[in-house]
Amino acid sequence: MKMRINPKKLSLQEKMSCVFILANMLVFLVTLLLFTGINSMFREIDMVYEDNMHLNELSDALTAVQDSMTDYLNAKTSDSLEEFYRNEQTYTEMVEGLNDEIAGTAFLRMERSIRHMSREYLDVVGQTIEAKRGRNVEKYRVRYENATQMYGYINTYINSLNNERFRNNSENYSRLSDAFRRFETISILVLTVVIVGNVILIIRFTGGMIRPLKGLATSADEVAKGNFNVELIPVAAEDEIGIVTKAFNQMVVSIRQYIERLRQSMEIQQSLKEKELMMEAHLKDAQLKYLQAQINPHFLFNTLNAGAQLAMMEEADRTYDYVQNVAEFFRYNVKKGNETVTVREEIELVDNYIYILNVRFSGEIHYKKQIDEGVLSVRMPGMILQPIVENCINHGIREMEGRGKIWLSVYQEDDFVCISVKDNGRGISTENIEKILNGSYRQEKHPGSSNGIGMDNVIARLKLYSEMDDVMSIYSEGKDMGTEFVIYLKKKEEGEPYHVQDHAG
Amino acid sequence: MNEKNGKRTICIRGIAVLISIVAISVCIFMFLTHIRGFREVADADSYDKYYVMITKDSKSSFWQSVYQGAYRRGLEENAYVDLLGENLSEDYSREDLMRIAISSGVDGIFVESDESGELTELIDEAVDRDIPVVTLYGDNTHSKRCSFVGVGSYNLGREYGRQVLKIAEEQKKEKSEEKGEIQVAVLTNAYTMNSGQNIIYSGIQDAIEQEKTEDIDFSVSYITVDDTNTFSVEESIRDIFMEERLPDIIICLNELNTTCVYQAVVDYNRVGQISILGYYDSDTIINAIDRNVVNATFSIDTEQMGGFCVEALTEYYLLGNTSQYFTADVTLIDKSNVAQYLEGGDEDEN
Repeated sequence: MKMRINPKKLSLQEKMSCVFILANMLVFLVTLLLFTGINSMFREIDMVYEDNMHLNELSDALTAVQDSMTDYLNAKTSDSLEEFYRNEQTYTEMVEGLNDEIAGTAFLRMERSIRHMSREYLDVVGQTIEAKRGRNVEKYRVRYENATQMYGYINTYINSLNNERFRNNSENYSRLSDAFRRFETISILVLTVVIVGNVILIIRFTGGMIRPLKGLATSADEVAKGNFNVELIPVAAEDEIGIVTKAFNQMVVSIRQYIERLRQSMEIQQSLKEKELMMEAHLKDAQLKYLQAQINPHFLFNTLNAGAQLAMMEEADRTYDYVQNVAEFFRYNVKKGNETVTVREEIELVDNYIYILNVRFSGEIHYKKQIDEGVLSVRMPGMILQPIVENCINHGIREMEGRGKIWLSVYQEDDFVCISVKDNGRGISTENIEKILNGSYRQEKHPGSSNGIGMDNVIARLKLYSEMDDVMSIYSEGKDMGTEFVIYLKKKEEGEPYHVQDHAG
Repeated sequence: MNEKNGKRTICIRGIAVLISIVAISVCIFMFLTHIRGFREVADADSYDKYYVMITKDSKSSFWQSVYQGAYRRGLEENAYVDLLGENLSEDYSREDLMRIAISSGVDGIFVESDESGELTELIDEAVDRDIPVVTLYGDNTHSKRCSFVGVGSYNLGREYGRQVLKIAEEQKKEKSEEKGEIQVAVLTNAYTMNSGQNIIYSGIQDAIEQEKTEDIDFSVSYITVDDTNTFSVEESIRDIFMEERLPDIIICLNELNTTCVYQAVVDYNRVGQISILGYYDSDTIINAIDRNVVNATFSIDTEQMGGFCVEALTEYYLLGNTSQYFTADVTLIDKSNVAQYLEGGDEDEN
C-alpha cells in the first residue's frame, strides 16, 4: 500500500502549514549546513597550532629526559633513575609518533631527522646511565658530553621546526580567518538568497491558494450588484475555498432557477388576468346585445309608425303626436345604437322621452332647458343623457305628483362642454354618490328596472370616450333637496375621429 | 490539462529546491576541503633516498646553484636532497652539521670539504655507519669518502696562468717603457687548507713558466686571506689595498673573494691599475666584467656539479663503488663573451 498525499484534498490550513513548514525546513536546512561549515572551520582554526603544541610537548619531554639524566648523574638517587626511565618512556613513545618517511615536505623530513637523532640520543643516554651505574667515570663523562651535544642538536631541530611550523601556521591562520570572513559573507548571501527565495515561494504558493478566493469575491460582488449571469467558478481543489466555491455556484444556479420560475408564474398570472378581462368584456357585450335585443327597435318602430298612421287617419292629433314621439324615441335607438352622436341629438332624445312620460303621467314633470347653441354639434357617446334623466325621474321625482321638475342646461366651461341634469327630488346621500361614481352601486340595483342602461354603464362609457377620469359630478345638497348630474365632455366637433369606436364595437 | 501543468510546475519547483540545496552543500563541502588543504602539507610524496649537502656558506649563489643542481638530479633518481642547516635556527659549523647528518640517518652526505683532520674523522665515522660521503669542491683525500666532485683545479690553474700572460702582454703594450716584474697575487684562504688551491697555484705557475713568450718577469705569490671569522675575509682583503705596493694582477679563487676584491678596487679607485681574475659567474661578477673592472672569470657548471654528487651516490648504491673523481666543466668569461652571460644571467635570475 502506497501512502500518497493528494495535494488537492488537503484543507487550507494543512496546505498553508505545509508551505510554511517547507519554507522553514529549507531555511533550517541551509542554516544547519552553514553552521556545520562554520563549525568545521572553527575546528580547523583550532587545529592550526596543534602541531606547535605537539612540538612543545616533544621539546618538554626531551628536556625532561636530559634533566633527569643529569639529575641521576649528579646524585645517583633511585628516584631520579625512576623518573629518568619514566621520561625516557614518554619521550620514546612521542618519538615513535613522528614521521619516518623521506617526504617532499621540509617539516616531515625534519621530523624524520628528529626521530633518528632522538633514537640515537636515547641510545647514548642509556649508555651514559649504564656507565654511571657501572661507575665507569671516564666513559659516562664522554657519553654525557655526547648526549648533551645531541640534545642541543635535537632541541635546535625541534625549535627550528617549531618556528617554521609556527610561521606556516600563522600564514594558514590568517588565510583561514580570511576564508572565515569570506565564508561569513557567503553565508549571509546564501541565507539572504534562500530567504528571498522562500518568500517568493510562499507568496506564489499562497497566491495560488488564494486565487480562487479572489475569483469568488469578484463573482460574489457581481451577484451582490444584481448580475446573476456570472460565470460559474471552476473548483480547483477540495479545500474550504473549494467547498465555498461549490456552494456559491450552487447558490447562483438556484437563484437563476428561482428567478426563472418566478417569471414564468408571473407570465401565467398575467395571461390569466387578461383572459378574465376579456371574459368580462365579452360578457358585458353579450349582456348589452341581449338588452338591445329585448327591445327590438325595428319592430317597435314599425309598429308605432303603423299606430301613428292609424291615429292620423282617425284624426286623433294628440295620439298621433304621442305615437310619433314614441316612434322617434325608438328610432333613435335603431339609428344610433352603436355610434357617437351630437349633443343636439341627445337633447332631442331627452325631449322625446320627457314628452312621452308627460303623456303617460299627464304632465307631472316640469321640464326646462337652457342650451348654449354653440356646442350642440359637439359629439358624445349615445344613450347618455336619457339614462340620466330617467334616473332623475325614477329615483328623484316619481312620487312628487306634479311638483317634480327637471332642468337641463348645456354650457361651456374652459375646454369642456358641461351638460347638467338637475331635479328637485329626493336627493342622494353622499354615500350613495360615492358608490354611483365608482360603480359599486349597480349590484344593489335591479337591472332592467328602466331602459336597462345603468349609471355605471354611462360613467364607464363616458370615461372610455373621454380618456379621463372626471367625467361626471353628482351634487346633492341633502334629502329632498334635489340632485344635479353634471357631465363633462371634451369638445369634439362633428366629423372628428373619436377613439371609443373600438371599445363600443 | 491544467492539473497536469500544475503538477509539473510543483515537480519542477521541488526539483529546483532540491538542486539548490545540493549545490549549496557541495559548495560548502568544497570550500571546507579547500580550507583543510591550508593546514595539510602540500607535497606528500615520499622518496627512496635522503641526501644532505653541507657547505660553509649555504647562502652564496654558487652553493645555492650547486644545491639546485643536486636537488633536481635527486628528484630524477627519487632522492631528496636537503641543504643542511638552511632552515635551522642556529648556525652550525660543517662539523656540527656532519654530526647531525650522521645521527639523523641520512642516506648520503655531500660535504664541501678540506683537508682538516676533524672532517676526516667525521667522514670516516659516517662511512663506518654506512653513510657514503661525497666531498664537494674541496677534497679530503685521507678520508674514506667514496667520491670527489670538483673542478679540474690544475687545468683551471693553467687557464688562470694563460689569462695572466694575456694581461701582461696587454699591459706591456700600453706602458712599454716601464720595466719590472709583474706581481701576481693569488688570494688563498688561510683556514680551509684547500688542496685544490695548491693545485690551482701550481697550475698557474706551470702555465706562466711554460707558455711565457716574452721577457717579462713574473712574481707569483700567495696572499692569505683570513677566513676564520665570519666577516674577516672582507677585512683582510681591504688590508691588501692599504699596502704601498699593490699587485698588478689579483687572482681570486672563490666567489666571495672576487666580490670583495672587485668592491675594494672600485672603492679605492684602482680601476685599470689592478687586473682581477675572478671566480664564478654571479651577477655581480658578470656585471663587473661588463664594466671592465674584472678582466675575466670562470664559470663553473654548478648544476652539473650538484648533479655529479647525486650520480656518484646513485652509482655507489647500485654498484657498491663509484668513480673517485668528477670534474665539472669550466668556462672562461671575459669581455668577448660576457654579453651572452649577461642575458643568461638574467634568465637565471628569473
